[in-house]
Amino acid sequence: MNSHLRKLENESIYIFRQAYRSIKNISMLWSLGKDSNVMVWIAFKAFLGKIPFPLVHVDTGKKFKEMYDFRNKYEKNWNVKLIKGDCPPVEEIDPSLPPAARSAARKTEGLKKILKMYKFKGVVAGIRRDEQGTRAKERIFSPRDESGKWDVKNQPPEFWDQSNFNYPDKVHIRIHPLLSWTEIDIWQYIKAQKIPIVDLYFSKNGKRYRSLGDKDITSPVNSDAKNLDEIINELQITKVSERSGRAMDHEQEDVFERLRTKGYM
Amino acid sequence: MSLHESVEIPKVVIVGHVDHGKSSLIGRLMYDLGEVPSEKYEELKLVSEKRGMEFEYAFLLDALQAERDQGITIDTTQIFFKTKKRKYVFIDAPGHKEFIRNMITGASSADIAVLIIDGHEGLKEQTKKHAYLLKLLGLDNVICLFNKMDKINYDERKFLKVREKLHQFTTSIGINITATVPVSAKCGDNIVNKSKNLGWYNDKTFCDILDTYDINKDSDKLPLRLPVQDIYKIDDKRVIVGRIETGELKLNDELFFLPSNETVKLKSFEAWPEAKKKYISGDNVGFTIEDQIFIDKGNLISHLTSRPKLMNTFEANLFWLSEKKLKVNKQYLMKINTGEYNIFISQVSKVIDTNNLNSKNSSLSPEKNDVCEVIIHSSQLIPMDDFKDNQKTGRFCILDEEKIIAGGIINLQNFPDQKDVIQTKNIKPVSFSVTEIDRALRFNHRSAIIWMTGLSGSGKSTIAKEIEKKLFLKNYNVFVLDGDNLRAGINRGLGFTTEDRTENIRRTAEVARLFSQAGFIVIVSLISPYISERKKARDIRPEIFKEIFIKASIDECKKRDVKGFYSKAISGEIENFTGISSPYEDPKHPDLILNTEKESIEESVKKLENFIIKEFGMTNNS
Repeated sequence: MNSHLRKLENESIYIFRQAYRSIKNISMLWSLGKDSNVMVWIAFKAFLGKIPFPLVHVDTGKKFKEMYDFRNKYEKNWNVKLIKGDCPPVEEIDPSLPPAARSAARKTEGLKKILKMYKFKGVVAGIRRDEQGTRAKERIFSPRDESGKWDVKNQPPEFWDQSNFNYPDKVHIRIHPLLSWTEIDIWQYIKAQKIPIVDLYFSKNGKRYRSLGDKDITSPVNSDAKNLDEIINELQITKVSERSGRAMDHEQEDVFERLRTKGYM
Repeated sequence: MSLHESVEIPKVVIVGHVDHGKSSLIGRLMYDLGEVPSEKYEELKLVSEKRGMEFEYAFLLDALQAERDQGITIDTTQIFFKTKKRKYVFIDAPGHKEFIRNMITGASSADIAVLIIDGHEGLKEQTKKHAYLLKLLGLDNVICLFNKMDKINYDERKFLKVREKLHQFTTSIGINITATVPVSAKCGDNIVNKSKNLGWYNDKTFCDILDTYDINKDSDKLPLRLPVQDIYKIDDKRVIVGRIETGELKLNDELFFLPSNETVKLKSFEAWPEAKKKYISGDNVGFTIEDQIFIDKGNLISHLTSRPKLMNTFEANLFWLSEKKLKVNKQYLMKINTGEYNIFISQVSKVIDTNNLNSKNSSLSPEKNDVCEVIIHSSQLIPMDDFKDNQKTGRFCILDEEKIIAGGIINLQNFPDQKDVIQTKNIKPVSFSVTEIDRALRFNHRSAIIWMTGLSGSGKSTIAKEIEKKLFLKNYNVFVLDGDNLRAGINRGLGFTTEDRTENIRRTAEVARLFSQAGFIVIVSLISPYISERKKARDIRPEIFKEIFIKASIDECKKRDVKGFYSKAISGEIENFTGISSPYEDPKHPDLILNTEKESIEESVKKLENFIIKEFGMTNNS
């Protein structure tokens, strides 16, 4: 593994241990995508082979079959404690949102339900700065109020690996151990560490998924990359952005910010 | 593929006055390098048109609606791109003075600092402030860009004038300017491509300067510094985890722990899926040790040579981020690496006006976004280094009400190292066959003396009883020493004169010591009205002693008068009664305050319970 990946891995392990030490009741989102598998892998490293908190899959019920198969297989193989949560129907979601975003916002509500039920004070999420402009503005330890709201104009300071951990009772903290990683880092790490992933990422009939979401609002991109090396090579030259296949990002200029300030990951 | 292998990816921060063009510069750089995805370009074109503007590169980074509408950067952001030579992470830090905390958040992780100055406007307030803050963040080599050269007709004389002023300023604060480049982010001059408009400038473009910048990493060559982050119990093993801040760590290394002053050998590395034999700076390690000694989160590990200093008084340069002014002698929490300590600022020596570097007009109470020089005290001994010797262990932050309100760097020149002082104090008279650490490992908590002081009627006994019950139910070994009960036995015959009170406290403290040696959490509930006597009690076992102030005003206690003592004292029936006919001295820097006038008993007990578990509980990872 090269020195750059090693540095990123070290940063993430430190964040995991800091979170476990400083926040009482935490859990980790496992969306079954490439990033969240990398996250589970690093959690194994941070806690020496046994993750001392549960994983959470907020299930929209609209994921690809391959993703559910993957979940069932690795829940056993990895011997992780998994909480499966469901999401409310789209009719209950803010109708002022454009259609795909409205559909994606179901996940926010599903997550809120689980946070409330298990009283989690911290939840680990695998977002990265290079995915999207507002995610680039994130803190590693990012507070959310009871409604999941992200107060983006008034974020706490964070420097020299010191963060705020103590907030009023109803606030929970989003923990972002992969914030500094880029898409290509994720793939190089998956290759170096031989981390299992859903094979929807590999090209079939000239198309592959670069980012996995709900079946009905996620589309594949044109690609012939059939294995890890080919994906890594493709990413060196592509000018298409990672989330271009995620319909929810492109409906309106501010839609992702609106989703995120309301509690989306 | 080869492009990315084993190459460092420098983090570059751009700072400077608001509207001098930080975000535009990054946007332009990315565009000229062909790093903007085509669909993103189209999206931003629309976004710019919508706001009636020319194409605005800054919108690549200013992703928030409020930022685009106001045309300023509010929060720091990071963006990734590559030149022909290597990859970079660019950190954009807001220039507006309201957002200094965001600027610091962004700049604190950078390897390379770039200061951007509007060639037309010259050095402004935030230009200077940011330069000064870079110094405090340890970034003292700075690349300087003079932007908006198009606005001053690419005039060399104007450029030289501003550069002269800049050099005067940076020299006086000890910052080294490694390059000065005239650029125009808007027109693309000297960003990636050499400018035809700036023919008089023969040196490298900004991009070339970045590509040849050597980010020197000497963290491996510095002495070992390894702060204990946590202790995991895995199966039967006690695994110490932490990150090597500087230096290297190998099997069989002799490790020196501060503040406990103990030495122990490293036995095995623990990792998943497998451990290595040697680790270097930046690595997170897990390891076990040969002998069991007391180790706590926040301890600092070094080798036997080149040890850190152990301090209870030191000087620091602070940047103050809180809306509330700095208060001298108020208790704050200091976090340094993984350690947390109660401190107070005993003196503000200077508040610096970064505009002219003079003292701010005689005011010695720093407010939001000020930088200042202070002296800090702690009742605890804190392991640390001078910032000049080791940046990683020479910097800290300060918290108030559990929020970060300041950051600072340490200057140890004028105060003595305390290591030698405690070495003589640590001679132990008896060695036990079952040691305290053996007991702690079985009980899963350390021993403690929780000394509750306060007026009669303030709530000490009530809280003591409740906390004993709560901790007992959590399998803690806990025992209450109550002043009234002790007077019925071991302290029988002692009255309430000053001498008798002193003896009463001495005996109680000694009993507490015995219980603590037996592994107990001892809750002492005693008025103990004098600061000097409580200090003597603390000195018996300072490392586990916590002073808890049970706070209630004398009027409130009189009103409560649970035992009817106050009315008797007022009528003169009882003599030497604390608060009436005998003084009570409030603790100056208690480890915890429980204000029973403002909080319910439940709240006070909960606070105390959390405090004890945090300070004396052991992490259990199994």
